[in-house]
Amino acid sequence: MRFLLLLVSVAAFGQSAKFEPPRQADGHPDLQGVWRNASIVAAFNVEGQKAYYNEPGGLSVIVDPPDGKLPYLGDALQKANDNHVHRERDPTGHCHTHGVPRSLVPPFPIEIVEDSNHVVLLSETEHSVRIVPLDGRPHLKNYHAWAGDSRGRWEGDTLVVDVIDFNGRTWLDQSGNFVDENEHVVERFTMTGPDTIVYEARVEDPTVYSRPWTLRVSLRRQTRGTELIEYDCIEGERDEIHFPGAASQKH
Amino acid sequence: MVVLFAAASGRALPQSAGADLRGIWMAESNADANLERAHVIVDPPDGKIPYRPEAAVQQKRNFANREAADPEKKCFQPGVPRAAYLRSPFQIFQNDRAVYIVYQDAHSYRIVYLNGSPHNDGLGYAMGDSRGHWEGDTLVADVTSFSDTTWLDAAGNYHSDELHVVERYTRMNTNTLIYEAMIEDPKVFTRPWKIQMPLWLQKGIQILEDECEEGENGRRHHVSLYKEAR
Repeated sequence: MRFLLLLVSVAAFGQSAKFEPPRQADGHPDLQGVWRNASIVAAFNVEGQKAYYNEPGGLSVIVDPPDGKLPYLGDALQKANDNHVHRERDPTGHCHTHGVPRSLVPPFPIEIVEDSNHVVLLSETEHSVRIVPLDGRPHLKNYHAWAGDSRGRWEGDTLVVDVIDFNGRTWLDQSGNFVDENEHVVERFTMTGPDTIVYEARVEDPTVYSRPWTLRVSLRRQTRGTELIEYDCIEGERDEIHFPGAASQKH
Repeated sequence: MVVLFAAASGRALPQSAGADLRGIWMAESNADANLERAHVIVDPPDGKIPYRPEAAVQQKRNFANREAADPEKKCFQPGVPRAAYLRSPFQIFQNDRAVYIVYQDAHSYRIVYLNGSPHNDGLGYAMGDSRGHWEGDTLVADVTSFSDTTWLDAAGNYHSDELHVVERYTRMNTNTLIYEAMIEDPKVFTRPWKIQMPLWLQKGIQILEDECEEGENGRRHHVSLYKEAR
């Protein structure tokens, strides 16, 4: 009897160790709120870097392959290196909207809005928006977008988003890491605490990488009352080319 | 009242919500081409925008230069109230915190906070700073803190950074949203004026990405990459 009680209490402990997320009326986890990626370095270089002038350092956010390096094919590595030399070409520096997973890792807040049929990801930076239908509709055809086309579903308490239909021009960070139009991303959003979402993106792109790779960061809930502020880039020409002094700040 | 249209959009809204405005909406009028000609100005009764004399001169200049000068054509965020009556859809989402309006045009969005928080003043937003409340089933959004970088339509009707807009969104039935905007700007107009028009529920579409490229003349323009998308 005592042994049985012990078993029961171990089972109960095991249960309580798994975080029980707040839930929507339909039973799915409530991911709503204002969040920000905790690994600021990811916006600058997903492979990690040393800190230097105006840029923070940090470890790679690539968790697979285990060495934290993007598994580039030969030609693609050359292109990434060329991008790195010409970082002024970064599309977001020219006011273009972010791709995926980059839209989740900028050093700016994002807001998640959710109902039974959609999850909406609002980014402060570039006022990028992703509307993720959850109703099982198929991906668009003949569509090639900076942010691709997103379709979501719940797997238990994890939101899984499948993204294809990219335009082939997006970068992964300011360092020149990139993907092309064959990119396919599977994102997983899992709440692991009241103020933490673990975000994982598995990226497959057979014309750029020799194997799929996975990025992982934590999204931290921002202080209650945090509001997204309007981001102007094109207005007033606040982009890389036109912003006064911008060119001289590079490199 | 609370769950009036919930069946159409899947889930009952939180108790704090006045009505369910969710859906994809679009004006099917010529309001964006020219507000005065579209007969959407309900006050003053003559249907004319009450410009100050010097502002009327500026409007004529804008009209003459509209191909190059229209900020929307240059891919600026469309501004308020113009975003509501572009020939381009927008989608409304709602939760306890706010009403979220996501426009296809220039992927601009607005968050209309419902918690009684004060405006962020003086930041010069293209889309303004929106604070809302419910009057029965009508969402009332008070919008201030504008920049002067947007127009009111493609005909050069414009405003200054002293623009103040009070919008009213009322869902009359499943397919119809009545949009009303009171517009005041003491630098440009002699008195407040008001537009009103229906917006229509758009079925079987999704909001697509609207991005811009910089042309050889150095000006940005919208690109329609997605005409074939389905």
